Amino acid sequence: MRRLIQKVLVANRGEIALRVIRACREMGLHTVAVYSDADRGALHVLHADEAYRLGPAPATESYLRGDLILEVARRSGADAVHPGYGFLSENTDFADACVTAGVTFIGPPGSAMRRLGSKTKARQAADAAGMPRVPGSVTGLASVEEAEQVAGEIGYPVMLKAAAGGGGKGMRAVHRAEELAGAFVAASSEAERSFGSGEVYLEKLIERPRHIEIQLMADDYGACIYLGERECSVQRRHQKVIEEAPSAVVSEDLRRRMGEAAVRLALSAGYINAGTVEFLVDAEENFYFLEMNTRLQVEHPVTEMVTGLDMVQMQLRVASGEPLGIRQQDVRLRGHAVECRIYAEDPENSFFPSPGRITQLVQPGGPGIREDCGVYAGWVVPLDYDPMLSKLVAYGETREIAIDRMLRALDEYVVGGIKTNISLFQRILRDEDFRAGRIDTGYLERLLESDPLVEAGDVPEDIVAAAAALFSAVATQREPVAVTVQESRWGLSARREGLRA
Amino acid sequence: MGAVRPPGGIAGMTVWLEVEGKQCKVELPEGLRDGGTGECVVDGRALGVDVSVLQSGVISLLVGSGRQYRCVLDGDTIVIGGRRYGFRVEDPRSLKGRRGGAAGSAGPRAVKAPMPGRVVRVLVGVGDEVAEHQGVVVIEAMKMQNELKSPKAGRVVKVPALVGETVQQGDVLVVVE
Repeated sequence: MRRLIQKVLVANRGEIALRVIRACREMGLHTVAVYSDADRGALHVLHADEAYRLGPAPATESYLRGDLILEVARRSGADAVHPGYGFLSENTDFADACVTAGVTFIGPPGSAMRRLGSKTKARQAADAAGMPRVPGSVTGLASVEEAEQVAGEIGYPVMLKAAAGGGGKGMRAVHRAEELAGAFVAASSEAERSFGSGEVYLEKLIERPRHIEIQLMADDYGACIYLGERECSVQRRHQKVIEEAPSAVVSEDLRRRMGEAAVRLALSAGYINAGTVEFLVDAEENFYFLEMNTRLQVEHPVTEMVTGLDMVQMQLRVASGEPLGIRQQDVRLRGHAVECRIYAEDPENSFFPSPGRITQLVQPGGPGIREDCGVYAGWVVPLDYDPMLSKLVAYGETREIAIDRMLRALDEYVVGGIKTNISLFQRILRDEDFRAGRIDTGYLERLLESDPLVEAGDVPEDIVAAAAALFSAVATQREPVAVTVQESRWGLSARREGLRA
Repeated sequence: MGAVRPPGGIAGMTVWLEVEGKQCKVELPEGLRDGGTGECVVDGRALGVDVSVLQSGVISLLVGSGRQYRCVLDGDTIVIGGRRYGFRVEDPRSLKGRRGGAAGSAGPRAVKAPMPGRVVRVLVGVGDEVAEHQGVVVIEAMKMQNELKSPKAGRVVKVPALVGETVQQGDVLVVVE
């Protein structure tokens, strides 16, 4: 069915909202931004044709208010909503509410999200689709006793996980039977707090796995293709830090087997639009279904770089009822792409978040560099949301070229005023194990436990000293100048008005 | 805005610095602060430089036979070629008195908010005995919860932190004596 899309409301903020707005512009579609009080001057607002306030800064009063967002859609005449990632992107009730309001939700139908969104339901669907998964329970555990029984059957170590979970919340590794009862209670209560559901299940702990995921795209007419894999093993606290496409260890044959399994799962659930099937891959190249993300992923740009496809444009076309227009055999992977998630956090101080004003911003460029950035110099990074500032992507003919290109770009990159994790990437990308592709989901935690190789900067001390002296001299010279600056007429008249009132 | 030069130009100045933990003295020639060429003297060594002030906090240095450095000022660090170099301007009058005297473990120590955020949990109360590195308060910023730890073993004497309250960087949350 063709659904005319002319005006897209982007129900998100930051770099992903801008990413979607750019795709819309390229396709001649009008764009509507929404914002909280913290985001009036945010980059996504500045790039949109129209912008509407949602509410106060906390997400629960703004970006998570589906009712307000649909009200903006009505007022602005938007005929489609793109949810980005996070916020309402995997909220089935919101997807259904869009349909009820006569607005196209750019994502899978609510029914498919329900079948695949919950981790326990997705495990049942994986079984039905004949997809290998990590051994363990496929339903929520009713009691500690049931957990002990399942753990006894599959053998320790095991992993407790929240059925509604994500981002490492409600997750506990259990190495011995006597730890299980305590971990069960802790995981369940954390899941209850984070997701409003205490349902947990249990699976065998795969030792030193790699996290590799398959990108899917499906249309209304039963066509579903896979766009290769992404390697996302470099993680901290179960959050991805660096992603790559393709994976250094996935062979043509393994890619085909994982891709076909992912497509089977999606088709069995009536899936439409972009989605990602996540797998754990062990040292023997066995792959196990982990979960499905029923939305566009943060790391989609690396797939775009190696396939040459624009996934957001594909999403918009599929949502308007067009067929995919590309067959599996037409998908060609070329070269290698690496993505670094630039966060406002301090790697030298326990990764504490670092919100605040960006005073300096020098952004990298040149061959093979793409930056999806949500900030600008002068912007105050709010403390209310995810600390991601930007996604820096490097592309090259080979993995090595892409990594070296990323290092060059990171050297060019300066963010002043707030702390960022740029130095962490410089450390990882120079690490021998990373460069050799010897990574698994525990890699980064191990690297961070080891002492950093203190590499002295290669700028001679005298140069740094001269620069420092010049900066401090400029600062002292500025002071008297600032005093002599004439007060503007605006300021004077404002003050007079104030006195009169 | 260009600086207003007093008659006779701005005198060259001497700056005492600590760069990457090492003390040094830099003598700047006249007029160089607006850009141009001149000779800086760093700890007695002469350094011919061509300075171009690009914008507030950004300068380009050409040194010797043409080596170029773009220097970006960020607080107490300078970023050159992807590396950060810490520095501090010293007031020569205070150099003597400043040595030593780092805070010891005696006396009260405050746990301060390392960033702006919201207090989500207070783990101790006034009068509690705490161990060094024991978690005392949890604050949340940017969707991350961070447990702040006691800097010393001792007794909690003050807990200004209130659950649900927004705090600024540097706010005292707990005091341990």
